[in-house]
Amino acid sequence: MTCNLVRARLFEYLDGELPGEQRPAVDDHLRTCLECQHALELEQAFREIYMVPLRPDQTPDAVRGRVAHLVVGLTESRRARWARRFRRRPIVSAAVAALVLAVSASTLVLTSARREASASLLRLADASVEQHQKLARGLLPFDIARMSPREAEQWFGNKLDFNVRLPELKDENLTFLGGRISHLRDIDVAALEYRVDEKNVTLFIMPAEQYRKLGLLSEPKFKMVNRQGYDVIVWSAHGAAYALVSEIGGRSCAVCHSAEEKLDVTLTPQAHGAR
Amino acid sequence: MDAPADFRELALKYTDSLYNYARILTRSETEAEDLLQETLLRAYRGRSSLDPELNPKAWLLKIMKHSHIDRCRRKLARPIEAELPEEATDSSLPLNPEEILLRRLAIEDVRNAIRRLPSVWREAVELRDIEGLSYQEIAHVIDKPIGTVMSRLYRGRNLLRSFLQGHHAIEPRRARDL
Repeated sequence: MTCNLVRARLFEYLDGELPGEQRPAVDDHLRTCLECQHALELEQAFREIYMVPLRPDQTPDAVRGRVAHLVVGLTESRRARWARRFRRRPIVSAAVAALVLAVSASTLVLTSARREASASLLRLADASVEQHQKLARGLLPFDIARMSPREAEQWFGNKLDFNVRLPELKDENLTFLGGRISHLRDIDVAALEYRVDEKNVTLFIMPAEQYRKLGLLSEPKFKMVNRQGYDVIVWSAHGAAYALVSEIGGRSCAVCHSAEEKLDVTLTPQAHGAR
Repeated sequence: MDAPADFRELALKYTDSLYNYARILTRSETEAEDLLQETLLRAYRGRSSLDPELNPKAWLLKIMKHSHIDRCRRKLARPIEAELPEEATDSSLPLNPEEILLRRLAIEDVRNAIRRLPSVWREAVELRDIEGLSYQEIAHVIDKPIGTVMSRLYRGRNLLRSFLQGHHAIEPRRARDL
């Protein structure tokens, strides 16, 4: 493949849209051609610096609240009908309202706190999935590669001000591809990319304080959610917080656990005792 | 998708993307919120048409685009569709962004440069580079073949680079041109 052909395909290559049979040829060319490698890096830098900041911001709370109100109104028509009936009978309505208030007041604070914790967890999971997709598609270059876990720990230790401990490579089907300092919800984190059974798995390590801010219950230890088809497991240990993103269910456990450990690899919520 | 709870989850999950795209289309926070609400109403009414094979975000963005066009028509201000040749590929190579990186532009300059793009190229760039849709999903939103998506994206990105290199002045278009 010639340089011109590779440059002409650069957008599709970085978009992850190059037909499968053409990708290896571009990969081969990029390994040997410094000029095309440079062009690729410039394009990646351009996207990272100028395009990524244009990605959607969080919707203002007031707008989000009104949207939630609208959606609830649309989808809970039966409840709305009941509310309308009660509005026509003020005495009954007042009695029911008093009863509902009495029952719900005691649980309101707790429910609200749990809802916020759940929303925080989902926001973290969404940000992790987005970064994982970029890493898996090669849109974000690695800062380090071909290092042992201990060397990588030392490298991150010099760059980040929290405890970064990498798991040992306990499984022969597990390969450490590389790592970089990434940004998850404006926080500098260590992003580590692994290959397990021909699929990419990303482990994010972040300050323990980020985990505390989620406001989650202490049990179960491993919180797990599925976002956009990816399993995201979040937990805290060794003075840091972790988020593991994969699309291979329980096989991603190989990043932290050896094959000898008897794990339930079906990755149901029960596998890690998550709720 | 028939369960109201599924729709609720879908709508709240994509609120950020939808609101952002609504702001891009309307250039107004107030109108963006109106457009977002109208989109969700239409989506809820038409939820049985959601193809389970399709990314729901692309489905919602397409509804938003059509809602926006209808709103513009109601105001007798149809969105301007530039008439541009639809060649499948472009013989020129992507412009090297090195010079742009050295210019250390502000993000607002980039936004203004995107606004200067012809509408059909701008739409492709926004849906891919800001909303993160795949080529297939963009093809669904704009009702065009993937070849057209690739051509528009290629040309839009190259013209954007040309603007950012300073070969053209980066100024927002007048409101009627947006």
